[in-house]
Amino acid sequence: MSQPNETYINTGPEGFLDGCAGLFAKKSFLRMMFATDERASGGCFRIYAVFSPPESGNFEILVQDVSDVKSPSFASITRKVPAAHWYEREIRDMFGITPEGHPDPRPLVLHGMYPEGVWPLRRDVSADDVRRVVDISREDNYQYMSVKGEGVYEIPVGPVHAGIIEPGHFRFSAVGETIYHLDPRLFYTHKGIEKQFERIGFIGGVELAERVSGVSSFSHSAAYCHAVERMAGIELPEKAAAARTALIELERLYNHIGDIGNMCAGTGFAVGYARGASIKETLMRLNQRLTGSRYLRGVNVVGGIKTDVLEHSDDILTTLDLVKREYKSFLALLLSSISHVERMEDAGILSRSVAHSMGATGPAARASGVGDDVRHAHPHLFYDRVIFETHTRTKGDVFARMMVRADEVGCSLSIIEALLEKPYKGKLAVPVGSVPPLSSALGYVEGPRGSIFYWVKSDKDGKPLRVKARSASHCNWPVVPFAVNGNIVPDFPLINKSFNLSYSGCDL
Amino acid sequence: MLEKIIYNILRKKQAIPYGELVASASEAELLKGAGEAIHSIFGRSVRIRQVDAGSCNACEWECTALTSPIYDVQRFGIDFVASPRHADILLVTGPVSVSMAEALKKTYIAIPEPRLVIACGDCAKDGGVYKGSYAVTDGVDKVVAVDGYIRGCPPTPADLIRGIVEVIESRVR
Repeated sequence: MSQPNETYINTGPEGFLDGCAGLFAKKSFLRMMFATDERASGGCFRIYAVFSPPESGNFEILVQDVSDVKSPSFASITRKVPAAHWYEREIRDMFGITPEGHPDPRPLVLHGMYPEGVWPLRRDVSADDVRRVVDISREDNYQYMSVKGEGVYEIPVGPVHAGIIEPGHFRFSAVGETIYHLDPRLFYTHKGIEKQFERIGFIGGVELAERVSGVSSFSHSAAYCHAVERMAGIELPEKAAAARTALIELERLYNHIGDIGNMCAGTGFAVGYARGASIKETLMRLNQRLTGSRYLRGVNVVGGIKTDVLEHSDDILTTLDLVKREYKSFLALLLSSISHVERMEDAGILSRSVAHSMGATGPAARASGVGDDVRHAHPHLFYDRVIFETHTRTKGDVFARMMVRADEVGCSLSIIEALLEKPYKGKLAVPVGSVPPLSSALGYVEGPRGSIFYWVKSDKDGKPLRVKARSASHCNWPVVPFAVNGNIVPDFPLINKSFNLSYSGCDL
Repeated sequence: MLEKIIYNILRKKQAIPYGELVASASEAELLKGAGEAIHSIFGRSVRIRQVDAGSCNACEWECTALTSPIYDVQRFGIDFVASPRHADILLVTGPVSVSMAEALKKTYIAIPEPRLVIACGDCAKDGGVYKGSYAVTDGVDKVVAVDGYIRGCPPTPADLIRGIVEVIESRVR
């Protein structure tokens, strides 16, 4: 069973590269690329590349079969579609399928603790099989890209950082104070989430989706539920759809305001940081009152929602009123501080061409002039019934990323207010029957950091054959080194905060 | 700005008072006791090194919230430090991913004794929702010795304060 806005085109191995390159050249976005192990049902591995052509509202999904299951390989598309570079390395690590001609032969996801020749996402490899051969004391001999020349020195940072931050290693090659090259090594928090989805099953997977990335808990679970619901042919009740839309926007609100506040920590503007943190706390407490969880967990279920959140519309509106007033004076304070604004302007510039070719998403892409927003490109839930803008900037510096967030805060506030204007009919959730065998679907949400995509496929018993998750951070991490280039080392924390990416969401 | 500061001083505005952080009278006693324990044992200064060993990042944000003006844990004598050399407590979040296990061990060794290790969050206890995955070790105690746990997914900032105090109370006698 295929979905109305998904077109699958099996190009075969010959047409895949040209097909992808053609779509990408026409400014289509590469939403994700992944492999599946369909040896049991189809006798081959399959590679999928999901594109959304501009202004069409549809997804074009190019597929190729990799029939040589003994030594599987496919022609790399990275040289034509740079946005595919991490996806292809991931496919190599997780499935042992070689992208022939990929410019970067290094492993990506699996560190040195995993021996070579172990491909965790293959269906005939169990979690215990991998556990037996993993050795946590084995050293990780990753080849960092090094810069040679007079006066070039390396600064290694991490994986345990100086603050309360997630783990990752950054290798700076600097000349004086200027960063010449940054080679990040991520995937320290790789938890095998995609395999875990297969163990847990479709219905229980919601809990896991909520724990892919802490501050995008709701967006991730909403995207996951969206995928499973589409696959199972479930029509979401009006009440559940409205509540999901409102909660996605509430999540964006606390993230954006928190992020704007955090940028103040990057410039040493303590008052700004403190005020951002207290507005964020007001919103977190609203979350707690509405759902019992400060991170909006435990609300989504496949088929709808568990608690009637919109019942508390008075509380939501009163709190948002307070937040709106506080936020207005907070923003005025930030923009009137010359030292704060001057640190942000011209720092960490991400050019439009890099943002598009490397597949950046969310506020990071919109600040560089790439006007991509899944809420407009592929509207679902209530997004085609509310009026809002896609805010973009052109400069692509830290200030632009802050201002895109600032504009979107206003947008989210008005969306929530518009949603709460009238009551909604219907049940909270519809019961889920069985999942049809060998069917698949995409699920997507525009989360606070950008687009979040899920792709699910069931096996012949209606159990998960593959759950592919793609967080916004996975798209945006590779562009950070481009934005950092040529800046001074002390500006790195600020630039990093302006992207505010999730390591856990990227590492899965 | 100055007006606002003077106004706040006159109004005696303060971080969330003890009372609001607790759910019951016994907890209030606990927090009061904490103040004393931190005063007498640690000389009013407990330093925490937080290590993310594969968490989803929710626990980290709650730790960050502790240092915001709302919760302001510095008033209890608790603070987060950058170097393990300065720390009394190692606060570990996450189920300990395979790739972070070695870094966690090294951080643990770098903390001078006597040291306390607190495992924070449901997945730090036994792997939680990630339990059984090929890429995690199912809990902090599989990698370093743990003195106490803070439950919750994630624990709220108030839970964190209570939990830290409880572990200090139970272990330092």
